[in-house]
Amino acid sequence: MQPSDSALISLYIAGKESAFDLLLNRHKSRVFTTIMLIVRDEDIAEDLLQDTFIKAIHTMKSGRYNEEGKFSSWICRIAHNLAIDCFRREKRSPLLSLDTTSHTFNSLSLAEEGADATLTREETYAQLRELIQDLPAAQKEVLIMRHYGDMSFQEIADATGVSINTALGRMRYALINLRKKMAAQPVFYDQNLYPRETAPVPVQRAAS
Amino acid sequence: MIKTFTHEKLLRYLYNELPAKEQTELEDTLQHDPELAAYCADLLLAQRALSAVQQNPSEATTQNILRYSRTFLPTS
Repeated sequence: MQPSDSALISLYIAGKESAFDLLLNRHKSRVFTTIMLIVRDEDIAEDLLQDTFIKAIHTMKSGRYNEEGKFSSWICRIAHNLAIDCFRREKRSPLLSLDTTSHTFNSLSLAEEGADATLTREETYAQLRELIQDLPAAQKEVLIMRHYGDMSFQEIADATGVSINTALGRMRYALINLRKKMAAQPVFYDQNLYPRETAPVPVQRAAS
Repeated sequence: MIKTFTHEKLLRYLYNELPAKEQTELEDTLQHDPELAAYCADLLLAQRALSAVQQNPSEATTQNILRYSRTFLPTS
């Protein structure tokens, strides 16, 4: 059984560095994806990821970490704020480097499947990221905060100054829009493109 | 026609935010409502696609963060 985030934070504050290693590895992908979807530049995203975790290190090691909320949503909120600040400061045009062979585009190695299959998969993932980028800003924001940022709909409503029903509505339309765009390109309905999760049950929900 | 409140309930269900009682009720409804079940399956596919496109930072960045943590000493 994996230790909880809360347990890892306690161990880390008590001086056990390996606990932070686990915490970082557990959350870095979600946090990095959150940043990438906002700034759309891999180098900047790598820098902001470091800034995010450095802020977290300072807060935890100086005893200022508030145990009340979830670590996952807290760290993603820091990342989200840093990414938004950076995006506004840079006034970047919406350019996304879609280097489909990049190491960042998935953890599957070439050894696990054929190189062609990996490339096809990565190209499809890159197209999917473009579909996310094409969503209306308000929908994209909620989608990033809920799916990658692990914030609850109520937390999103509070953070964005809207009602929970508005946040839910935006997420609903984000998924509907995404589903429509995916339906227009049958390649996205190839079930083999997506990693298997737990055994199928009548309804399978996202891991919390 | 799927009602709006059901859409919102379904979303909260997909993201594990529904109280246990409402969750059970919704699962029961899904068993008997093929339209809602099909809609739920579509949302699950979109949700799974979102999870699949997660990206990882470089190993160098990960190591930089770990190094910073090992060497950081809080003042005070």
